[in-house]
Amino acid sequence: MSLAESPVYSSSSDDFAGLLERELESGSSESSPVEEDKEADDNGSDVESESRIKRRKVENAENLEETSGSTSQGFSEQKSEVSAVEDMCAHPGSFGDMCFLCGQRLNEQSGVTFGYIHKGLRLNNDEIDRLRNTDIKKSLHRKKLYLVLDLDHTLLNSTQLNHMTAEEEYLMSPTDSLPDVLKGSLFRLDLMRMMTKLRPFIRTFLKEASEMFEMYVYTMGDRAYALEMAKLLDPNKEYFGDRVISRDDGTLKNQKGLDIVLGQESAVLILDDTENAWAKHKDNLILMERYHFFRSSCHQFGFTCESLSEMKTDESEPEGALANVLDLLKRIHKIFFNELGGNLIDRDVRQVLKTVRKEVLKGCKVMFSRIIPSKVPADNHHLWKMAEQLGAICSTEVDSSVTHVVALDAGTEKSRWAVKQKKFLVHPGWVEAANYMWRKQPEEKFPVTETKSKTQTQ
Amino acid sequence: MFFHIVLERNMQLHPRHFGRNLRENLVAKLMKDVEGTCSGQHGFVVAITGIENIGKGLIRDGTGFVSFPVKYQCVVFRPFKGEILEAVVTMVNKMGFFAEAGPVQIFVSNHLIPDDMEFQSGDMPNYTTSDGSVKIQKDSEVRLKIIGTRVDATEIFCIGTIKDDFLGVINDPASV
Ligand SMILES: [Mg+2]
Ligand SMILES: [Zn+2]
Repeated sequence: MSLAESPVYSSSSDDFAGLLERELESGSSESSPVEEDKEADDNGSDVESESRIKRRKVENAENLEETSGSTSQGFSEQKSEVSAVEDMCAHPGSFGDMCFLCGQRLNEQSGVTFGYIHKGLRLNNDEIDRLRNTDIKKSLHRKKLYLVLDLDHTLLNSTQLNHMTAEEEYLMSPTDSLPDVLKGSLFRLDLMRMMTKLRPFIRTFLKEASEMFEMYVYTMGDRAYALEMAKLLDPNKEYFGDRVISRDDGTLKNQKGLDIVLGQESAVLILDDTENAWAKHKDNLILMERYHFFRSSCHQFGFTCESLSEMKTDESEPEGALANVLDLLKRIHKIFFNELGGNLIDRDVRQVLKTVRKEVLKGCKVMFSRIIPSKVPADNHHLWKMAEQLGAICSTEVDSSVTHVVALDAGTEKSRWAVKQKKFLVHPGWVEAANYMWRKQPEEKFPVTETKSKTQTQ
Repeated sequence: MFFHIVLERNMQLHPRHFGRNLRENLVAKLMKDVEGTCSGQHGFVVAITGIENIGKGLIRDGTGFVSFPVKYQCVVFRPFKGEILEAVVTMVNKMGFFAEAGPVQIFVSNHLIPDDMEFQSGDMPNYTTSDGSVKIQKDSEVRLKIIGTRVDATEIFCIGTIKDDFLGVINDPASV
């Protein structure tokens, strides 16, 4: 049954319906208003626009006088305006498959979906560029860059309730009987059957980072999880707004991409513990040391030791990863805005990141002892590359300019040479820690033992 | 725009509902099934206002269900191209703003916001004129013109504009 077939009844007990009818009838005597309805989407004849205005009267029955006069003229003008736009519209994007500039229904889907902002929203690449270009100017003017934040193991750690061990049972007790350090950072989410621990220093981190960056959340978790975590991190909705991206929003499977971030790539930094997720954006990435609070999280990454939760302790607040990375972000922000020359718009935060990284082990000459298998080219090894990115010079040859020997066993020939020549002998963890901390670490914290027993990374 | 129309629907009723309350059960089920749904043709069914006629029931073989053709009056809401609507802003961002008018989701892109209104980010993002006199933010009420509509089974999408005379903010929650 269509609208046209259904007559409007003249007698109705309902007040509202009666009002509608009276208004409709008062205007159109020649035809049933509902019949005209069918034509309403076609081009506008005089009769049609007339009947439209009558209907509008119904809608705004209280302020009839106001609207009817002024809109009747406006309508026919607007109509021609719209069709002119339609002809030359570039269709910059769509909402509900309609162009959001001309209103035309678009048949083929093009562009990138921005479902995290609103269901049904898509933007074409040119429009994304336009938005980024407008936005970067404003952001730079306000001395802000963009920061994309991963959730799991970067800002927080979550576990399923049913994966918790007996030693973790104490975490299930009511909030007021929890140890003080856990209050306000441990959350039990019964609906999701989960428990979440925020990383120490998170509140200060977010507050201070938000002054330097426009921040996004970007997680491989699903949408519901992402929103729930955003609520814990940003209860007053000060930091993220609608910028919460989940795996449901990404354009590539198992990858994160900056294509759905409305920030110029040259001004984006990323904090994530998973390097592989950002294959196309490694230059924007600051790799985070993983935060494992719960036993199930340690277990998932192959650690068999007791977890922080089981030991009833936590990462250090003043010296932990977030305090450290906040310090790094401040340094980068300062260099970007205050120390680089040239136009702000031409500056590239990826270049700053590279430069700062090169300072970390500057002046060190590192030699590896039985770390790199002899069948692979030495400069292909990840530790070699890491040390070089940190500004060290790497070497395979014993010579007096070497400052550090990296080894797992103090008994190797090169290790003994290092000791004899009073060079630093360090565990590979020394390079890795420098990479995470963005500072050269005290060598004595990374000793190498004689036996090939398991050494632990700090 | 609202319409008062008559629609028809075949209602399947389980035999346990038969008896003295048959009519009430039928109407209750009809309201549950129909109110709040959308159809591309009629729009959003706001409320059932009356029952015109309930036809003869037809027993379905095997199941015992009986199907009744029911004619009912209802108020439907359907936006049209060119229509002026008043809506409440639900979200503001770089791309423009989203607004709601009942079941209708409207997007007004920043292309269709007057050029003298500029986007301001922050914890309460908004579009504001340079003199600060007019501001569009979450919960503002705006008058806008519909330039495109799409009615789905459950949702109505609209494209709106406020780049025209007499359109824009009609009530600013921040100034109250
Ligand atoms: Mg992670
Ligand atoms: Zn278009």
